[in-house]
Amino acid sequence: MELKEEILIPAPRDQVYAALNDPEILKESIPGCEELIKHSDTELEAKVVLKIGPVKARFGGNVTLDPSGAPEQFSLVGEGSGGAAGFAKGSATVELEDRGEETLLRYDAKAEIGGKLAQLGSRLVQSTAKKLAAKFFATFAEKVTEAQAVSEQPAETA
Amino acid sequence: MNDMTPNRDERVANLKGLGCKRKRVEDARFTQGKGNYVDDIKLPGMLFGDFVRSPYAHARIKSINAEAALALPGVIAVLTAKDLEPLGLHWMPTLAGDKQMVLADGKVLFQGQEVAFVVASDRYVAADAIELVEVEYDDLPVITDPFKALEDGATVLREDIADKKEGAHGPRRHPNHIFLWEEGDKAATEEVVSSADVVAEEMVYYHRTHPCPLETCGCVASMDKINGKLTLYGTFQAPHVVRTVASLLSGIDEHNIRVVSPDIGGGFGNKVGVYPGYVCSIVASIVTGKPVKWIEDRMDNLMATAFARDYWMQGKIAATKEGKITGLWCHVTADHGAFDACADPTKYPAGFFHICTGSYDIPVAYVGVDGVYTNKAPGGVAYRCSFRVTEAAYFIERMIEILAQKLGMDAAELRRINFIKKEQFPYHSALGWEYDSGDYHTAWDKALEAVDYKGLRREQAERLEAFKRGETRKLMGVGLTFFTEIVGAGPVKNCDILGMGMFDSCEIRIHPTGSAIARLGTISQGQGHATTFAQILASEIGISADKITVEEGDTDTAPYGLGTYGSRSTPVAGAATALAGRKIRAKAQMIAAYLLEVHDDDLEWDVDRFVVKGAPERFKTMAEIAYASYNQAIPGLEPGLEAVSYYDPPNMTYPFGAYICVMDVDVDTGVADIRQFYALDDCGTRINPMVIEGQVHGGLTEALAIAMGQEIAYDEMGNVKTGTLMDFFLPTAWETPNYVTDHTETPSPHHPIGAKGVGESPNVGGVPAFSNAVHDAFRAFGLKQSHMPHDHWRIWKTANSLGLHG
Repeated sequence: MELKEEILIPAPRDQVYAALNDPEILKESIPGCEELIKHSDTELEAKVVLKIGPVKARFGGNVTLDPSGAPEQFSLVGEGSGGAAGFAKGSATVELEDRGEETLLRYDAKAEIGGKLAQLGSRLVQSTAKKLAAKFFATFAEKVTEAQAVSEQPAETA
Repeated sequence: MNDMTPNRDERVANLKGLGCKRKRVEDARFTQGKGNYVDDIKLPGMLFGDFVRSPYAHARIKSINAEAALALPGVIAVLTAKDLEPLGLHWMPTLAGDKQMVLADGKVLFQGQEVAFVVASDRYVAADAIELVEVEYDDLPVITDPFKALEDGATVLREDIADKKEGAHGPRRHPNHIFLWEEGDKAATEEVVSSADVVAEEMVYYHRTHPCPLETCGCVASMDKINGKLTLYGTFQAPHVVRTVASLLSGIDEHNIRVVSPDIGGGFGNKVGVYPGYVCSIVASIVTGKPVKWIEDRMDNLMATAFARDYWMQGKIAATKEGKITGLWCHVTADHGAFDACADPTKYPAGFFHICTGSYDIPVAYVGVDGVYTNKAPGGVAYRCSFRVTEAAYFIERMIEILAQKLGMDAAELRRINFIKKEQFPYHSALGWEYDSGDYHTAWDKALEAVDYKGLRREQAERLEAFKRGETRKLMGVGLTFFTEIVGAGPVKNCDILGMGMFDSCEIRIHPTGSAIARLGTISQGQGHATTFAQILASEIGISADKITVEEGDTDTAPYGLGTYGSRSTPVAGAATALAGRKIRAKAQMIAAYLLEVHDDDLEWDVDRFVVKGAPERFKTMAEIAYASYNQAIPGLEPGLEAVSYYDPPNMTYPFGAYICVMDVDVDTGVADIRQFYALDDCGTRINPMVIEGQVHGGLTEALAIAMGQEIAYDEMGNVKTGTLMDFFLPTAWETPNYVTDHTETPSPHHPIGAKGVGESPNVGGVPAFSNAVHDAFRAFGLKQSHMPHDHWRIWKTANSLGLHG
């Protein structure tokens, strides 16, 4: 399964990059995320409840980040297991293009899924994954904008 | 005779014997929801077991943690291989001489494999508990392609036998190789093929599919610790074999095991094998002292219980320029999945695939079958066919079409000039079978005439021209098939399952008032045995079929038999029924002679009575004789009227048929409209024409499914992509065309009533008929072979690859 999309976020690139590394913002943005623990700058552990068609499961997984190309680009690999519901493995490359006050975010993700999830038919999984990704970035863009507003406020009053 | 005695015609009609279109007696309860299936069985204190299954197709198990599951209220136990190991039950033997994990022992080898067995107070608690069992896997490389499995350096799937050079069926040449089984004269065949005028060569793939009975598999095991008796209810196509296997595995004496098959909602081969669910339920019942039920859900059934087919058949067929076939060569790569759990007679690891010379007089032939392990579910059952006969029929009927194309000949004519002739029967085939009887030319001519074959070809040619002129986007295909089956396994001398000879049995008791009960070693799964076996008996003993109860499936009461599959019930148990009936009649004759004060030889049988020769007014009816057998002391005779017969058939039976399918294929949408389907079956003596017609309709609908869309598909990771009925095609009335049925009647010379069996013919003959029609539609554009199932997408791709989309 492959997912490719781009989205314009109304915040400067440094802020977007910082937000992508902020466990609080990520946790609030990831649909169904119950827990997100940052073990180091490159190691994250997450617990996410996912519902795809008739399958609802709690996935536990680890994500490893590769920030060597930051802030223009970074990549991540991860895997998660949802017990009887199945498992998922994936990788993604995220590119951030500086557009002044805005940032264009491009992502290119590949995922392999197995177990009950895969049996439900890739059409269902693909469309659900797209929907979840869209939801993530919509919330993410909102959170970044909020954060920006908060960080700008004290500067104005000062 | 007084006026109250019905005339002879009425008496024959009252019998409802052979040839009567008797309504199925089973249907009253089935159509009113009053059947008694295994899931209807509810015992006091019954627990429910269910499996934690592997999401991976190939992985090592690092750990299993059942703590959270056991903490859930209502969960009684979670069994793993470690718990079964001390009992020696973590592995079990398969019907094919291999062994299979009951619960994953260190690793898993296919998606859906049984990893742990949760026992809980009800099925809902069990389902919740499954989610709580934590299993840690380390995934391994997956092999779903049998050709890749045999490559040098391929990942070894079965580590337990990696170093074994010898398997149950001879040498193994690779760790993922199971056997090479060969029949025929290889050197002579290769010689003929290399020097022939014409050779047609092709790889014919019969895809993996699944019997998918509406009722999934299941059982209820109940161990009574007081009297030491184990009762096992289940969806068993062979209850007596299950009892013997259960005894050998568990060590419980066979007399202390009672196996009961209640009503079964379709089997089609899916319910022949022994599954981990049965073993785990028995163990759980012994451990807990309570009855334990296990019932598969649909996904479990499609994912993990016995699949069918998955044969890659490489063929070469040699012929003269005039089209006389001179030889047939075939090599099969058979994907058996993770364990060799094929359900075939022991000596035949590729079943009866060597019936693949079909209905044709082929002087020399060779077949070799390589069995291969892959990361797929085990099985390899005969899905409504007799042990790989359907693969054989599909193979030869595709090869004939490809040869006709190469010769530029009409495929109907090519068949006609190669048929075994009527006077050649009994016919000895190049691959070792003795065909008992047949009259192929008569059946073929009747079929071609019935559909106006020449007219169809004319219309097809006109349509093709119209297509080329751009006036239509639909091509017309005429799918021909002439098949010969081999059913009724079988002679004990060469057919056995786990050492048990494949005879069958019938026991009859006549009651004092002239009604009867017959018990058989078989078990109906929808075939209508209670209807048809009563008819066989009615004609033999002169008691109306309406007064005969037919009972099957309880090993405590029924005589030992090998069960129902491979169209063996009528050829084997049906023969036993007729012969047991003849024993009844022989004793009845002695009783009648005593009552009429004549010698036995002075009596003759007349429908339902013995009549004194030359004195038709002096007779005794079967009802009178039955009564006398219980209430009169007859010198030299024991009281009562009972008989039992165990029948070992001298040969198989060879039903045949001619099927023709006409369809219109839309090259732009890939939709194939079936316009006409004509099915002529010759099953020898016809017991109940209405039941035959029903069987043919059902089998053709399964054939339609298989040929046109039904498939168990895997992706490269070994995920089953067709685990639900959304993706696995099961036709409804909407997709099902009208069928026209017809028959000829060539009785089996060795069967007591000449019957051959019919239940599986439509699946065997139907698949090549549908598939040949699709191929025939594209024949003018050079299509040789496109693999099934012919769903819309594949037909569209075929049209596209032939350049028909402009």
